[in-house]
Amino acid sequence: MDNLLEEVQGIFRDVFDQPDLVISRASNARTVDDWDSLAHINLVTAIEKRYKIKFALGELQELKDVGDMLDLMRVKLASR
Amino acid sequence: MNEYRWRDLSVGMQESFEATFTDAMSQTFAQLSGDVNPLHVDRDYAVAAGFPGPVLFGMLTSSLYSQLVGVYLPGKFALLQGIDIDFNAPCHAGERLAVHGEIIFLSDAYQRMEIKASIRKGDQKLVSKAIIRVGLHG
Repeated sequence: MDNLLEEVQGIFRDVFDQPDLVISRASNARTVDDWDSLAHINLVTAIEKRYKIKFALGELQELKDVGDMLDLMRVKLASR
Repeated sequence: MNEYRWRDLSVGMQESFEATFTDAMSQTFAQLSGDVNPLHVDRDYAVAAGFPGPVLFGMLTSSLYSQLVGVYLPGKFALLQGIDIDFNAPCHAGERLAVHGEIIFLSDAYQRMEIKASIRKGDQKLVSKAIIRVGLHG
């Protein structure tokens, strides 16, 4: 598991209160229990705060899974 | 009541107000919540436990955080989405409580803000502190 995925997995575990949750690049709202709209907002804001990056709504609407999120995060992190 | 929209908000914005709870309010909260723990509703029990009187419910005093976001920051268009509270000191009916909140984080994508808030007594003793997550509707 790459470092960023591992870090983001920790955020998922905290947001969903599932200490044993395992995510992969293919994980999405259909494969993770309780990933509803409010949980999604909690995820996005937790990531923004943790990495000091900002997402635009349009960027987020393009994401299909965790892998897409990680790729977008890497772009943001590289341009900080 | 404030009616702040997203465009009006910025990190560092602050609001404050004061409030006082009565014994009658605490009794009403006991009825509403079903929490009839004697520390909160039985004066003799509370005094025997070392307090000057019944201890106000933490969830009652924390209802002021609801007022903070629903009336002051951001006010009318608030959607309370989450809150983390730490209780620091007991307080009692008749004590003047000062509520303070400050926006510490704004996430534009979903219009979500985080507010760092506190409730203090007149002597500045901290009653509780909270991180409140708030969205907007409308």
